[in-house]
Formats: sequence, C-alpha cells, structure tokens
Amino acid sequence: MADVVLFFASNADTMIATKALKDSGITAKMIPKPANVTSSANLCLSIEAGSVEPAKSALGTAGIALGGVV
Amino acid sequence: MSLRVRLLGTIIGAIVLFFLISVIAARLVLQHDLLALGETEVTNGAGAFGGYWDSHKDQIKLLVSQDAVSDSLRKNLESKNVGAMRKQLANIARTSGLSFLTIVDGSGKVVARANGPQPGTLAQNSLVKRALTGETVSTATLLGPVVLAGEGLVSQAQADIKGPDGKSVAQTNQGLALVAAAPISDQNERTIGAIYGGILLNHEFTTNGYYDLIDQAAHSLGGASAILEGNAIVASTIMRDDGTRAVDVQVPAADAVLKNGQPYTGPDTEGGTQYLVHIDPVQSDQNKTIGARWYGVPMTQITSIINHTTQTLVLWGLLAMVIALALAIPIVQAISNTLAKRSQQVRAAAKELGVVIVGAEVSGDHIAQTKAAVEKSGALIAEIQAGAPSPKMSELRAVNDELEGDVIVIDTLSQEMSGRMQQAVHRVAELNDVAGGLNELVTGEKN
Repeated sequence: MADVVLFFASNADTMIATKALKDSGITAKMIPKPANVTSSANLCLSIEAGSVEPAKSALGTAGIALGGVV
Repeated sequence: MSLRVRLLGTIIGAIVLFFLISVIAARLVLQHDLLALGETEVTNGAGAFGGYWDSHKDQIKLLVSQDAVSDSLRKNLESKNVGAMRKQLANIARTSGLSFLTIVDGSGKVVARANGPQPGTLAQNSLVKRALTGETVSTATLLGPVVLAGEGLVSQAQADIKGPDGKSVAQTNQGLALVAAAPISDQNERTIGAIYGGILLNHEFTTNGYYDLIDQAAHSLGGASAILEGNAIVASTIMRDDGTRAVDVQVPAADAVLKNGQPYTGPDTEGGTQYLVHIDPVQSDQNKTIGARWYGVPMTQITSIINHTTQTLVLWGLLAMVIALALAIPIVQAISNTLAKRSQQVRAAAKELGVVIVGAEVSGDHIAQTKAAVEKSGALIAEIQAGAPSPKMSELRAVNDELEGDVIVIDTLSQEMSGRMQQAVHRVAELNDVAGGLNELVTGEKN
C-alpha cells in the first residue's frame, strides 16, 4: 500500500508533518527510518505513491521543509 | 509588604513629598517677599513718621515766631515787666503744648520763663546766639542739665537707661527736644532779645494722657513708633507685656545709625516683641546725629501671613490626600485583584502542567516496557519459526515486525516528548516562580 517514504530534518518536523498531512486528508504512517535513508531524524512518513504531489503541496502550505523522498 | 500597601504608600508619600516641598517653597518665597514688602512698609511708615516730626518742628517754629512778634511780649520786655511776661509765657506754653518757653535779653540773659522764676543765661546757647543775630531757627537738640534745670525739666529728662537684658547700664541727665528760637525786635527792628521754646521729648506725657508726637504717628500709621536719645528710647508707643510703655531701654540696632548717620531697616526686639523696623537718624542744627526715630511693625504681622498660608496649604494638602486616597484605593484594589487572579491562573496552569509532565514520564516508562515485550515476542517467534517453519508463523512474524515498528515509532516519539518535557519542566518552574513572586507582590505572603 505505502510505497514512498518522506523524511525530514528532525523528529519534531516529522511529527508536525504528520499532523499537517492528516489535516489535508492525506494518510501518512509514521515509521522508523529505513536503513537506506540518511537523515538526523529517527522517524519517517510512509505515504501512497499517488499522494506525493498533494503531500508536497500540503507541506509547503504548512511551511514544513521536506528532507527528501525515497 | 503587599502591593496595595506599597502602591498606597507611594501615593501618600508622593502627595506628602509634594506638599512638603510646596510648603517649604511657599514659606521661603513668602518670607522673602513679605519681608521685602514689610521693609518697604516700615520705610514708608518711617518716612511718614519723619513728616510728623518735621511738622511738629515747623509748628514749634511757627509758635515761637508768632510769639516773637507779639506786641504785648515786646512791650513787657522793653518795660522789663517780668511778672507779666512770665504769666504770658506760661499761658502760651500751656495752650500750645510747649515744654518750655523763655525770653532772653539782648545779651542772652534769661528775663522770664514759662516754668518759673529761675534766673540764668542762654548766652552760650547756639540757637539763642543765632536768634540774637536776627535768625529764626528750629531744630532737634540735646538740652543739657543746666538748661533743663533752668526750665524745671530735670525730672522729666532724668532716667536710668537699661540694656536689652533689663539691667541698668547708664543714666541720662540730658534731654532730646524739638526747639525753636526767634529774635524779638523793637519798633525800630532792633533786636532786643530772643524767645526760645520747645518740646522736651523725653517722657513727654501730655495732659491728654498720651505722647503727642509718637502716639499721633502710631495712630495714623499703625505699628509702633519711638524716639531715641542716643541709642536709648525716651518716648515710645511700644507696649510691654505688662501693659507699660517700653522706655529708657537701649536699642543696639540704633548704634550703627548713630555711628554712620545712615538709616537701618531690619529686625529689632523691643518690649518682648519682635518688630521689623526702620530707624532714621535725628540730627541737630550742627548736623550731628543725636538720636533717632524708630518705626516698626510687629513681625507677627508678617509671620502670621506666612503661618496662615502654610496652614492653608497643609489643610488643602490633607484634603487632596484624602481625595487622592478615595480615588486611589479602589483603583489599587482593582489592580491588586487582577494581579492576584492572574497569579492564581498561572499557578493553576503550572500545577496542571506538572501533572502532564508526570503523566508523560510514566507513559514513557510504560512504552519502554511494551517495546521490550514486543522485541522479546519477536525473538520467540523467530526461534519457533526456525524450529518449525509454517505459513502462519511467517504471517505472525510479519505482524510482530509491524508491531515492533510501531512500538519503535511510539518509543521514539515518547523520547522526543520526554526531551521536550524536560524543557517544559524548567519553564514550569520559572512560571511557578513568577506566579509565586506575583502572589507575594500582591498579597505580601510568601509560600
């Protein structure tokens, strides 16, 4: 179901991003950081591949910097 | 000390300070200005007193001049009718208020006196000398003991002079007088004698019961007046506490006037009363300072205005304080109540936050235990699957792996929150301190 991982600069950003995506109607699951992701945060968000663009838009509106998409 | 006490204390202190400074400033300004005004007043009063003095001198000069041209006196002098002259002189002196009136012949020898039959000569008297040369003169002068004895005025002039401390310091046997002398001429305008008269000012108590010159001046000008022979008062309207007049006392303030011949304006205490005075020198026809005119107003006239103004300011100040307090107390009360309410709110919030912090810490511990259990469960599943692999066990392991992932997320979040909570703990402690400080400020209570 979830095949795209969004990561952020910190765990706090990850938490705020979770709330922002939820408010935008995008389902996101918080998961431990995969081994292939390089980030200072220990947590990431997993979303459906089709929701990447709406998610980026929602995060941009909320002013949350996205670390990367894997 | 509570906030409301401090605020009210500050308001009262500010008002008291304001009025203290106002009262002191008002007193200083009033003292300066009223003293200046008083000095002007006594200087003007002294000028008017001097006018009365000159008026009396002129009046005596006029009287003596009129007597000098009296036909009957001239005829009696020419006929040496001493008895008639004596009687006439006595009548004139009595009706004119003169202390003495004397006629001398062309050599200055006394022919007749208003006050008795005493013989004598005034040949050495400078005024009589001038009169015998045809000049009419009037001046203030000092009458010596011989002249006073001849006129029967020794007792009026004699006195023990007391110092400011009340002790006798000197005796006087001369008198200060306003006098005039005029020539008496015969029908051929030849000077055949002179008439010499005046008023002895020492203890000059008239039959009307008052000191003519000084009482008249004081009555018209207000204040008090005195005449000084040398530096000693010989006639005055200054009343002592016992109701008697202050006479035969030295006035130290007049010493400089006598020495320099310059007026003095300033304070002087006489008869137990402090006056603001102006002292003018009295000079003889030889321009020698022989006495002084003293005019003063009681210093209480000035100080009473200052005191009344001060009292009025203080009363108004008290009224302003009461009004200010009436207005300030509800305002201070409202501010105090608001601050106390905010303080209570902060403390209540701090207390709630404390509960949240404890809850987070307990939750964190519980999550750590759950994580440990899930990890142990995963290890058991892996051990069972290794011994007896089955699809169900694989499915169970996948579920457990997902559960472990969720627990890791929860644990990470918990640790993140724990770090935040640690910071919150410091903030709450600071809030609690602020709330405690506010409470102490408002109520004055420490807890």
